[in-house]
Amino acid sequence: MSSIGLLLGKDLRRLVRSPLLLAALVLYPLLVALLVGLVVRYAGERPRVALVDEAGLPRSILLGNQRFDLDRLFSQASEVDLVRMSPERASHELGTGRVLAVLTIPEDFSVRLRGLHASPRLVLRTGSGALGTSVTEKMRALVYAINLKLQQAYIKANLGYVHLLRRGGSGTIGRSKLTVIGLDSAERELRAMQRSTDPSVSRPAGELADFVHQVNGAVGQVGEFLRATANPVQLVTTARPGRAWVLSAQVQAYAYALALAFVAVILGAATITAERDERTLGRLVQGLVGLGELVAEKIMLVALVGTAITLALAIGFGVVVEIGGVSGGQPWDRVPLLIPGFALASAAFGALGVLVGALARDAGAAMLLALLVGLPVVLAGVIPAGAFALADWLRAIVPFGHAVDLATSALFDPSPWGSVLRQSVWLLLIAVALAVLARIAARRLLA
Amino acid sequence: MTRLEPIRIGWAPQRPAVYGHLSAAENVALFARLARLADPLGAATAVLGLVGLEKAEQRAAELSVGNQQRLNLALAFLGDPDVLLLDEPSASLDPAQTSRLWELLLARRATGRSALLATHSLEEASRLATRTMLLVDGSVVLEGGAAEIAAAMASS
Repeated sequence: MSSIGLLLGKDLRRLVRSPLLLAALVLYPLLVALLVGLVVRYAGERPRVALVDEAGLPRSILLGNQRFDLDRLFSQASEVDLVRMSPERASHELGTGRVLAVLTIPEDFSVRLRGLHASPRLVLRTGSGALGTSVTEKMRALVYAINLKLQQAYIKANLGYVHLLRRGGSGTIGRSKLTVIGLDSAERELRAMQRSTDPSVSRPAGELADFVHQVNGAVGQVGEFLRATANPVQLVTTARPGRAWVLSAQVQAYAYALALAFVAVILGAATITAERDERTLGRLVQGLVGLGELVAEKIMLVALVGTAITLALAIGFGVVVEIGGVSGGQPWDRVPLLIPGFALASAAFGALGVLVGALARDAGAAMLLALLVGLPVVLAGVIPAGAFALADWLRAIVPFGHAVDLATSALFDPSPWGSVLRQSVWLLLIAVALAVLARIAARRLLA
Repeated sequence: MTRLEPIRIGWAPQRPAVYGHLSAAENVALFARLARLADPLGAATAVLGLVGLEKAEQRAAELSVGNQQRLNLALAFLGDPDVLLLDEPSASLDPAQTSRLWELLLARRATGRSALLATHSLEEASRLATRTMLLVDGSVVLEGGAAEIAAAMASS
């Protein structure tokens, strides 16, 4: 057996003989994965937005004989967490980033809203950066939802006018009170005149009665026209039972990547540091094993253990999904696709751990450094694309984002091969780069 | 050009360099395999017998300090190396084990094989060494026989 094989066997034996360590390696990342999955799932779902009410909106408002609870309208329709505050405080919080945007209701909002003739305006001020764009989209959704409710009120009001024109009676149009005979009565009157024996009366009366009849029929269609022009395309949504958040594709992928990140970085750092702390490193490098072989062996060990642990997690998730009868089930046929991806991701994280272990002075410092390095590596991987200038670059050079994308694609993409291959190449390149750095840093172990 | 055979060196640092989670026998067998010895298990058994380590199946971390040092020495003697580098080899050994070690080293010396020892014991130096150097802060300040060094130290 090769030297690397012999050392691998030795290190695996160490893990098997430490059941507590093994359990911690599995359970700790799972716990962290579930917590972070929760955060990732819900983070940014309701960004905090300041609401500056310059119009002094009443709690409710009467529009076209329909009363609206404005507070409820804003809170129900909102995809953001609207917080009322003064203009000064809103500006300050936007500056400090405590709110992502300021929504201002101008002074003339109520007047325009009640007037039903000029569109009332809402003014949105966002911070710079991609999150501002995201908030703008959410605010558009808010305005869309409010518009939808108001459209219904406007249409109902307009149909009231149409009803008055057709049936006749007294009513209000804008601020004008009026009494009209109505198209129905007008037609009846004209039909009565049509029966006159005087042809000079009966003929035009008949023509006018026919015209009024046609107008009445056309006006009767106005309701449908209004609804159609207000909503040329309607989105009909139906609720279908889906996966619970805890079993979602996103949470599964994050769980795997997190398990890998923490297990591999810590294990990589620990396993190289152990050689130095047990002073066996000095024995090994006396012609038995080269430093390069030693670094390679540690990375291979982490790849093996990381793959085994994440595979166990995948099977665990699958069992829960099957027992729970979750919609869609676990894509078992895709699970083998995870193995090379997990191995590459483990190797990349492991190489980072070995690098950290080689740079640290002792095991304690190595563990601390592994945690200090591991956390930013994870967080850098969850930065949304385009969040800031270097976000994409930063996300690309750390293995975490690639591991998440690989797991998501491997399990849930209809055509996973392209994405899996692309992310695998990224992980391989990162692993090789980190392994080279670890090999260089390993010289410090002999100092 | 003559190709020189590499010199095989056995090394025992002052504090044992062993894998704590492996048994003494596993430690020796692992290093025997890594050293590509022809019969690693046979060599491991032989060297454990040489240092008289009886609790070979016990994990190294659970051995007494003296037995850990014996394991440390067993790894140095593994494969009968050409040269031994031993740092305070008898520091953790009881008198009987120390005598046994000295006998082993004297037997090796009799066959013409070298050993480089670092020790604070003048008795050990005088019993085992053919050449002695006194180091102060890493520099050689005196070289000669152990008796000369003892005399120099007594006069200073």
